[in-house]
Amino acid sequence: MNVYQPFRVRVEERIDETPDTRTLRLRFLDEEVARNFQFRAGQFGEYSVFGEGECTFCIASSPTRKGYIECSFKTVGKVTTAMKDLEVGDEMGFRGPYGNHFPLDRMEGGNIVFIAGGIGLAPVRCVIWNVLDERNKYRDVMIIHGARSVADLVYKRELEEWGRRPDVRLWTTVDPGGETPDWKGEVGFVPAIVQKAAPAARDAWAIVCGPPIMIQYTLPVLQGLGFPPDRIYTTLENRMKCGIGKCGRCNIGPVYVCKDGPVFTAAELARLPKEF
Amino acid sequence: MMTNASQITQAGLSSLVEDLRQAGIQVIGPARVTDGAVEYQRLADLSGWTPGVQPRRSLKEWFLPVTEPLFRYRKQGPRVLVEELAPPDAPRVVLGAYPCDAAALPILDAVMGWDYRDDPWFARREATVILSQVCPGGDASCFCTDVGIAPDSAAGADLRMCPIESGWRVQVETGKGEAFLQQWSRHFQPANGSKNPLPPAGPPRSEAPRANPERVRAWIETHFEDPFWQEVALRCHGCGGCAAVCPTCHCFDIVDEPENPVQGARRRNWDTCQTALFTRHASGHNPREDQCGRCRQRVNHKFAIYPARFGRILCTGCGRCARTCPSGQDITEILARIDQWAAGPGGA
Repeated sequence: MNVYQPFRVRVEERIDETPDTRTLRLRFLDEEVARNFQFRAGQFGEYSVFGEGECTFCIASSPTRKGYIECSFKTVGKVTTAMKDLEVGDEMGFRGPYGNHFPLDRMEGGNIVFIAGGIGLAPVRCVIWNVLDERNKYRDVMIIHGARSVADLVYKRELEEWGRRPDVRLWTTVDPGGETPDWKGEVGFVPAIVQKAAPAARDAWAIVCGPPIMIQYTLPVLQGLGFPPDRIYTTLENRMKCGIGKCGRCNIGPVYVCKDGPVFTAAELARLPKEF
Repeated sequence: MMTNASQITQAGLSSLVEDLRQAGIQVIGPARVTDGAVEYQRLADLSGWTPGVQPRRSLKEWFLPVTEPLFRYRKQGPRVLVEELAPPDAPRVVLGAYPCDAAALPILDAVMGWDYRDDPWFARREATVILSQVCPGGDASCFCTDVGIAPDSAAGADLRMCPIESGWRVQVETGKGEAFLQQWSRHFQPANGSKNPLPPAGPPRSEAPRANPERVRAWIETHFEDPFWQEVALRCHGCGGCAAVCPTCHCFDIVDEPENPVQGARRRNWDTCQTALFTRHASGHNPREDQCGRCRQRVNHKFAIYPARFGRILCTGCGRCARTCPSGQDITEILARIDQWAAGPGGA
């Protein structure tokens, strides 16, 4: 079995997050693989539909939830369309986990602010559940999630659950014009809501993921609140094929997203050439 | 017991090739193809063998094929059977590899072997004995000596061959080479003056290096936004011909090729950083949205990124990119200009 041959996984559950975004829960067919599979929050994998091809996504479920992995994806191209067409019980491929991870051990005892835009909540959700499943290791947890419209908010059931928890401060927002008459959350772009929520920077870490434009405008807000760039983490997704540092396409200057990332600090991003 | 240097007559080489073939060992070497060009080809005998002419394409495709199946799949309703393929480890001998092609192989071992081991690559590497030849002389596009390689480099060679009056003088370079020589010793004779090294190679075409790689790397690492990259891109069609003929360009794509609705293979195909699709995201966003970024990437990868990570320049100076480019882009000119700026006031 060469390094490009995936594990076989079976679709166990399908959850429609938005009209064009779906989550698949996947279980490894091989009992031994299922038992031994381990990953860290932030790692990614290559998901494939046989006959269609491979796609790169983070693992959206938490490493604390054993026996399965989840991925959330937007239907955009050939492979994601094929993934959307899979039924419960259908088999597909997964290889991974690859890349680095969020350094949760460093964040123990601190406060964590999660900021996610749109489908960018997928990699962040993995860390959120990891933190909530080990809740006593961390102090304050704040989650800020924004989407273009109410219909575009992902993980709605989980947002409700987080909103009910007394140990989580949740802010949800939609872009102006994206609200519905009964929308109870915020209206405004993510950076503005971060400013409004004003998480304290002391002993705090920020994990930010979303469209490039959101990240670009959120970083200065966080730094204005006193978050140093080496305590702000994000995860990048460049086009990849191998996922293991060989196929030569995901690099940003000297840095390989698949090997040196996908998790980077804002301080690391500031040192990279503007090619992402 | 063989000494380190041996020799073999042309007739001996012919019978060696015949014996190898009988033993089921594939022989690969430079030979003319139908359009008159020389390519590395499978040889049945030495009748078409053309040492002394640099093949048009590099030796790379014998280790990283243009297209190769990684595994096969078969669908049965919701189930999928994944069929593992036997490793491509059929024994082979390359007879008369150019030093610039042989040298590319250990350079690529670094990327193929770090952390995750690229099994098909190493299966072919381990199954192949490389007899390189001392380069009989290059042309104006050659620049191996600029990148730390020489016409008589042993890098990547298990055995080195140099023409002598009575045939070839052969020198062992690796344990694998030694074992090969032992196994087929009946075709070889001890060389006259066996303690001496191979005869020196002819002078390389570029008398003085046109660029200092260290200086070039330092400049590239600090001039990502330099307008020079725009100028380089003006000449580039983005055809990727340079990457196709390059012995060290190894970027690849992974795609599924169904043969019918229920079965097919996942394949690895050559790819090139010179096309827009190479880096385009599903969203349409492209980190390298113009040819400037792509040309910069190719030079950067070869002369800065790869050396930084693996301690080796991703180039052997074979000159094929310059010979192939439809608009005459010459990497040595690019390096020379960079070096000039890097060496000048202000430098890197």
